[in-house]
Amino acid sequence: MIRKDAIELCVNEIKNQPIISANGFISRDLFNVKDKNTNFYMIGSMGLASSIGLGIALKKPRKKIFVFDGDGNILMNLGSLVTIGSIAPKNLIHLVFDNSIHESTGGQPTATDTIEIEKIAKACNYKHIFKVSTKIQILKILRELKKYRGPILILIKIEKGKSIGNRINKKPKNIRQEFSKNL
Amino acid sequence: MCTFLIKNGIKNFVGVPDSTLKNFIQEALDRKKIIITTREEEAIGIASGMLLADSPSLVFMQNAGFANSLSTITSLVQLYEFPLIFLIGWRGFQKNDAPEHKKIGKIQPKLLSSLDMDTKILNENNWKTACTWAVKKTHNGKSCALIIPREFVD
Repeated sequence: MIRKDAIELCVNEIKNQPIISANGFISRDLFNVKDKNTNFYMIGSMGLASSIGLGIALKKPRKKIFVFDGDGNILMNLGSLVTIGSIAPKNLIHLVFDNSIHESTGGQPTATDTIEIEKIAKACNYKHIFKVSTKIQILKILRELKKYRGPILILIKIEKGKSIGNRINKKPKNIRQEFSKNL
Repeated sequence: MCTFLIKNGIKNFVGVPDSTLKNFIQEALDRKKIIITTREEEAIGIASGMLLADSPSLVFMQNAGFANSLSTITSLVQLYEFPLIFLIGWRGFQKNDAPEHKKIGKIQPKLLSSLDMDTKILNENNWKTACTWAVKKTHNGKSCALIIPREFVD
């Protein structure tokens, strides 16, 4: 499964619940698959999608907050797993699309082919951790989310993509204001 | 100072500890309004998330950590126009500070001006007006910085 297909599958399940997406191709894919004013496209600030998601989750405890992260992104901000695990927001769902490469910068390797992110998340006290690679597995977890308390990590193993999505053509200030208004 | 900022509507204090700011941080700990993060960029990310949820926030850090944060400031705070207050302890303000603080302390004012960040340097007499100024800035949708110089060397 390539990232775009995985993202499309997840978005169709998540519907209009808030999503914070990591910079690079993840945000581009999300934008191209389903642009919504409940998406916060983080186009800069490498690595910080999960931190932004944590801030929102703490202030909106009744809403489920979804973070679309990448392996390269989370490796840049592993401290975020520590902070999320120590505060343990019940409503944070952290999806990591893991292809073991920095696809947005040309496909250079990351260390996730040997270092397992799910083990780091477990050491950081994430309450539920899933490692999946098929559409059926993803759908099962997303449809049964009510059964689980966060923070939840869903590590989705994906393959390298074949095409590059269009850039996000919205003004960052508008992305922020629209997202805030619909939160 | 933390209590004063809370009275003026700031709800969250997120950052990395600094000895220059230890009294402020203790106050925030006592008031249970604080998150201590692993890195300054992470603090800015969390505070930005809180601002997305309309909850006024401040990030605190030493100027070494401020230097860590430059890319996050330009590509998140300024790009999306988050109204965030930075509270920064200024090491290397005094010429006889520890060697690791000297260079960054010297270029600190230039860094802030290169970023076009509006700044006030705090002292015993002006801190209340400076805090009020900063809160007003955020009401106008702007980020800004409050700087506390390290006046002593231990």
